Amino acid sequence: MTSLLEINQLSVKLQNKLILQQLDLNLSAGEILGLVGASGCGKTTLLNAIAGFAKPCAGSMQLDNRQISDSEQFIPAQDRQVGMIFQDYALFPHLSVKQNIAFGISDYSLSEQEARIDSLLALLKLSEHKDKYTHQLSGGQQQRVAIARALAPQPKLLLLDEPFSNIDARLRNELMLEIRQLLKQLNITAIFVTHNKDEVFTFADKMAVMAQGKILQLDSPTAICQQPNSWQVADFLQLGTWLSCELNKNELNTAFGLLTLTDAEYDLVKKKQQSVEEANQKLVMLIKPQYLEINEENPANACVEHISVTEQGYHYTLASLSSNNTTKDKVSFYSQQLLTINEKIALKVNPHPILVYSQ
Amino acid sequence: MIVPVLIMLVDGIDASTQLFGHLWQTVLPSYLKNTILLGVFVVLLSLIFGVSSAVLISQTNILFKQHLRWLLLLPLAMPAYLVAYLYTDLFDYAGPVQRTLREWFNWQSPNDYWFFDIRTLFGAAIMLSLVLYPYIYMLTRGAFEQQDQNLMRASRLLGLNAKQTFFRVALPLARPAIAVSASLVLMETLADFATVQYFSVNTLTTAVYDTWLGYGDMAAANALASVLMLLILFVIVLEQRGRAGLRHQSARPNIQKDLIQLTSIQQLLASIFCWALVILGFILPFGLLIAMAIEYSNVEQLTRLLDTGINSVKVSVITATVAVIIALVLGLYQRLHGHKFRHVPQQISGFGYAIPGTVLAMAMLSTFGPFDHWLNDVAELLAWQPPGLILSGTIFAMIFAFVVRFSAIANGTIASGIKQIPQSLDYAPATLGMGLTKTVTRVHLPILKPAIFVAWLLVFVESMKELSAVLLLRPFNFETLSSQIYQLISDEMLEQGALGAILIVLFGLLPIILLNRKREH
Repeated sequence: MTSLLEINQLSVKLQNKLILQQLDLNLSAGEILGLVGASGCGKTTLLNAIAGFAKPCAGSMQLDNRQISDSEQFIPAQDRQVGMIFQDYALFPHLSVKQNIAFGISDYSLSEQEARIDSLLALLKLSEHKDKYTHQLSGGQQQRVAIARALAPQPKLLLLDEPFSNIDARLRNELMLEIRQLLKQLNITAIFVTHNKDEVFTFADKMAVMAQGKILQLDSPTAICQQPNSWQVADFLQLGTWLSCELNKNELNTAFGLLTLTDAEYDLVKKKQQSVEEANQKLVMLIKPQYLEINEENPANACVEHISVTEQGYHYTLASLSSNNTTKDKVSFYSQQLLTINEKIALKVNPHPILVYSQ
Repeated sequence: MIVPVLIMLVDGIDASTQLFGHLWQTVLPSYLKNTILLGVFVVLLSLIFGVSSAVLISQTNILFKQHLRWLLLLPLAMPAYLVAYLYTDLFDYAGPVQRTLREWFNWQSPNDYWFFDIRTLFGAAIMLSLVLYPYIYMLTRGAFEQQDQNLMRASRLLGLNAKQTFFRVALPLARPAIAVSASLVLMETLADFATVQYFSVNTLTTAVYDTWLGYGDMAAANALASVLMLLILFVIVLEQRGRAGLRHQSARPNIQKDLIQLTSIQQLLASIFCWALVILGFILPFGLLIAMAIEYSNVEQLTRLLDTGINSVKVSVITATVAVIIALVLGLYQRLHGHKFRHVPQQISGFGYAIPGTVLAMAMLSTFGPFDHWLNDVAELLAWQPPGLILSGTIFAMIFAFVVRFSAIANGTIASGIKQIPQSLDYAPATLGMGLTKTVTRVHLPILKPAIFVAWLLVFVESMKELSAVLLLRPFNFETLSSQIYQLISDEMLEQGALGAILIVLFGLLPIILLNRKREH
């Protein structure tokens, strides 16, 4: 696939604070990228920089083989052919649905305008609302108008800033699938910002996890979940809980017993071990609830701290117990069996690909 | 705006060396004393009228609440000098009240009885506060109604009853609004000219007027105007400090459901108090005006009214249009421009409203007068036809002064309109290929239409009512509605101008209706 957007070493300063730091990003034509990260990590600033609302202090951006920003030039937003859907939709309150959609194509001939508007109205199922004002529409309809308006001038790239945050949960999934289908049908490249990782799984082909102005990992959502490349990525995506561990020959010593490592895993953990010693950090293992099991033959190694009821049975927050019975790590565990608070149980870790990080 | 005021201050200070000593030894102390006393009395009376009516309307189960809510605003439309004239007419020796009393009790001369004299400093204070208290009423009531409902609920849950909650939570929270509105009243009082002049109470404003128009002494007039300006600056500082605390706005407006319950007697007394304010501040004087108009109107008056009316409308239309254009440029510049000091021009122009018309007029005269002379000198030097007093001798100076004074109103209205446009609408047009100019003309201006209309109307009405700047700056033989009415009042012949006066009051009602509608929706 050809690369549509290329961002190299992009830095953006806002009010003398470095918000984006030497950020790199590549996106192929037709791909949908989900940008996730904690509040304040620079997601919206990255969108604004791509759209042309934030001026970078270093780095370059190329859109469809055209330089849109580098040290010498900064193409203004209106000349970039980048469409945007705002969190509050930014629909013009003084214009009707039809006029909103026509806004960006006023230089088309009247017949072209009509044809484009009609096809978008039909595509987004808005035909019967075309003469209404935007405040007369529901949230979902307003969002569809925003999409139609952004698509009308045929942008090369569509940016969506938390597009689903104003939609109630029941409608959200339905709408996400519908819009994804539409973007795929029109082969539109899109970047959307969210702080909800579940939206990325439903909506995006690729996922980028951001923290402190940098992209920590960029890959398909499945690949990131299977192999998060850092402790921060796994922690932000809440892929599991953390269990302290120590490397002992080719085995990992944890509160829930010894785990044997494969050669590849051993090499990886050995490397981490070195960096941990240098940086005065500790080794932690990502433990997903599905790999934990109660093993009544072992001595107790965990204590129940909190119980909640979920669709998957009881959800327990457990505290691991060390040899001298002081509590250490908090781990998540699901079971159909009812335990009581402060009950001590024995857990074992079933064999699975082991992921170890420095923390 | 700043330059003329600075020139006036410099002129004033320049003159000070000998002149000031003279003024200080003769009239200045008593002018200053009168000005300050008048300010104190008006603020105190307005606080009593304004805060208590605001409390009664927003916090209690007073009778006729829905009507009194807006009726209490009406006196704002009454120029104080009209009220002063009408009450003097009503209460002086030859007026109907004393005449009736004399007939009833068979008194023969003033020596037979005592009757209060309305044409005193305190009388002027009552007249001014009868029409200025609505500022305090409006802002204080607004503050009470904007208070966070949850604060009141929390107080009730902590065991305080409605009355205790009012004194311990609501009133302290409304203090900044009361302070700001009181300083507005004070500024209006310091700016008043016609009322005090009519009552022959010598204040700084009347002194400036007399010194310039009576004795043609511009240096002394400038010196007096400078003293007045310093007093105003002091009030502005107070007002700004009050405003700093004005942050108790809430997203959960407190339309009280849990009111302080008055007993029937209390309810009756409370509504009598509020009705008295409405009647004395508006209904009675307006009724007197109407009676006067019916009795004395004739065709000749109507033609004169038409002439001056056209002058007023002309000046006001130009002023309103210029002020709104300036406000739009400043407001949109502030919104769409990333410059660090982008707020400065708008903030400075906001002070204009605080400058009394008299001071502003002196500033214009000190600036444009010499400039005109210089222009004529240059023209003569180049052997051209001298242009005459094209700035100070035409309506230019008047309009310039009006724009400076009323820009704050236009700025405030336009700025709050702009604030309501979501930031994303600034960006959206660019993502659809629109440049800045088109963004402004196709998005911002159409959305701002209602704000532009309101701003224009408010400035128009204020310009129709403005008097002191007109008296000092109007070109020879140029009368506006207000200057004509003032002239008739001075000559004790308001009957001749009753129709014009009614017109001014009706114009004054427009912004009140507008304000009321905005707050209700």
